[in-house]
Amino acid sequence: MDLAVKDIRRHVGKFIATIIGVGLLLTIVLVMNGIYQGNIADGVWLIENTGTDLWVVERGRGGPFNESSRLPADAYRSVAATPGVARTGPFIAYSAQREIGGASQQFTIIGYDVFGGLGGPGRIASGNAIRAPHYEMVADDKLGLHLGESVRLGTRSYTVVGITHLAVDAGGNPLVYLSLPDAQEVLYQQDGRALVAARAAGLKRLELSGYNPEQAAKLLPLLAGATDTISAVLLRLAPGADAEAVRARIRDWLYFNVYTMDEERELMLEGRLRRMSAVLGLFRSLLVVVSIVIIALIVYVLTIEKIRSIATLKLIGAPNSVIVRLILEQSLLLTAASFVFAWSLVQLIGERFPRTLVFLPQETAVTFAVMLAGGVLASFLAIGQALRTPPQLALGG
Amino acid sequence: MPIVEVSGLNKTFGSGELAVHALRDIHFTVEAGELVALLGPSGSGKSTLLLCMSLILEPGSGRIVMNGQSVYDSGATGIDLRRFRRENIGFIFQANNLIPFLNARENISLALQLNGRSKRDATRRAQELLEYLEIGHRAESMPANLSGGEQQRVSIGRALANQPPLIFADEPTAALDTERGMRVMGLLRKIARERNSAVITVTHDQRMIEGFDSVYHMQDGRFVDAAEAAH
Repeated sequence: MDLAVKDIRRHVGKFIATIIGVGLLLTIVLVMNGIYQGNIADGVWLIENTGTDLWVVERGRGGPFNESSRLPADAYRSVAATPGVARTGPFIAYSAQREIGGASQQFTIIGYDVFGGLGGPGRIASGNAIRAPHYEMVADDKLGLHLGESVRLGTRSYTVVGITHLAVDAGGNPLVYLSLPDAQEVLYQQDGRALVAARAAGLKRLELSGYNPEQAAKLLPLLAGATDTISAVLLRLAPGADAEAVRARIRDWLYFNVYTMDEERELMLEGRLRRMSAVLGLFRSLLVVVSIVIIALIVYVLTIEKIRSIATLKLIGAPNSVIVRLILEQSLLLTAASFVFAWSLVQLIGERFPRTLVFLPQETAVTFAVMLAGGVLASFLAIGQALRTPPQLALGG
Repeated sequence: MPIVEVSGLNKTFGSGELAVHALRDIHFTVEAGELVALLGPSGSGKSTLLLCMSLILEPGSGRIVMNGQSVYDSGATGIDLRRFRRENIGFIFQANNLIPFLNARENISLALQLNGRSKRDATRRAQELLEYLEIGHRAESMPANLSGGEQQRVSIGRALANQPPLIFADEPTAALDTERGMRVMGLLRKIARERNSAVITVTHDQRMIEGFDSVYHMQDGRFVDAAEAAH
């Protein structure tokens, strides 16, 4: 006779309410799993979807994502001249925050050579890639933009010609692709008053250094910060080229840092994502422990509620195995049903969740196994109490 | 052959000045088919004697022989007490203590299944017992939906399920009115006669002592005669 199921049937409403409560907690555990993996997936998405064999960045820096990197825009031509290199392309990436669709939205702007091909959006969900040298953009659907829509960035408007899906930066923010000159313009342009103020300050500095106003006016453009810079050079190797030799040559002769895709991914995982992943991992572990403690308390309360029945079972000669099975089965049913509830809920909310959620089947299976083991562990407290219960409790004294 | 033989049974709770002698040198024999009453006020030791004979509470010293088997001889005798209890003793409680999440038939069937009967066989036998106790029509009812008298009958059915030679009843009529109490006592008498089971009943309900084969009065942990008990 399955006593556990019989008992649950008697309190089916209460048991369902408990499943929903524990299930919501497990939903958070699964969502944390999803955020953890989503954080990694987002973090390396751009690296893995840029379609380059090597990343050439500023010497001594771990750019372009983990650390800023500035190269002269024409550096890609020098790199292209290196033996073993098939194609190169300039690449710039930076964060921006603008009012789009009535809300302030953060995104990353990617500037690339729209005619060279390297660094552009890989898969376009609708529309097409940028075909004109100026004023066109491809945006991720997270921004809520539509094809043909016009977006103001700085002093100019850009027309959305393509929409991507799940194209995000390391922080999960959507990507906006522009042609390289447009991206540089959006990055470096200043409004009129800021330009006037910067010019006045520059002239003042020169005059204080002993130049007369005419000389200062002539020298000023030479001192202005370069606006024709890029973050990295993307590089595609020629068939059969020795990547290590190409790297060494660029490193030694052009004095740049060169990373493979794996190294760039490692830089991201060990750098920018490391602390976030550690925090998420810690939270995940804490939530699992909290869930197990809560299940333990619920199973304990369920057991205490029927402690007189357990004493009666003992009195009429039920072996301990019957009592252990009653408690253990309820604990496992509670854990398993809560997990199924949590999993179903996650499937429902996953698409609408503000951050990318990635669920790895093996990780979900491990979480389920851990929770089941936790369910067994959680029942020990109640089993201990039940086995200590004297049968005379059924007699009332 | 006696079903129960108790000799020189003692039980003390606590020690030193705080020691409470719950049982003092109890000698006691019950034959098969005998209906026995243990009478006495609260704290007289009757429940302690019942617990010791039920193999739930370990006596301090003495000897208990049940159904020809020594189950206690100034120490454990090594038998599986829970199994012995399951096979040889039926319990009827004051508050009947039916398992609340099982219906009437399942409450009885459970006792049978715990003793190794198959589910089908146990269900059939449980239904037979309910018919014998004249509540066959309530087989599917949950305990909460049964009257006090009906609950007590299911409890009796569970006690009888494995046809034990010995039945202990702890205040079986305490929660019932006189009419229902009388009916339950009549049933216990019927069981003792028809099934040849010894029925030992703990009670302080003077209304019910008529019809018992033997009545033992307890006071301060020992048996006393009726006159002394009344005094």
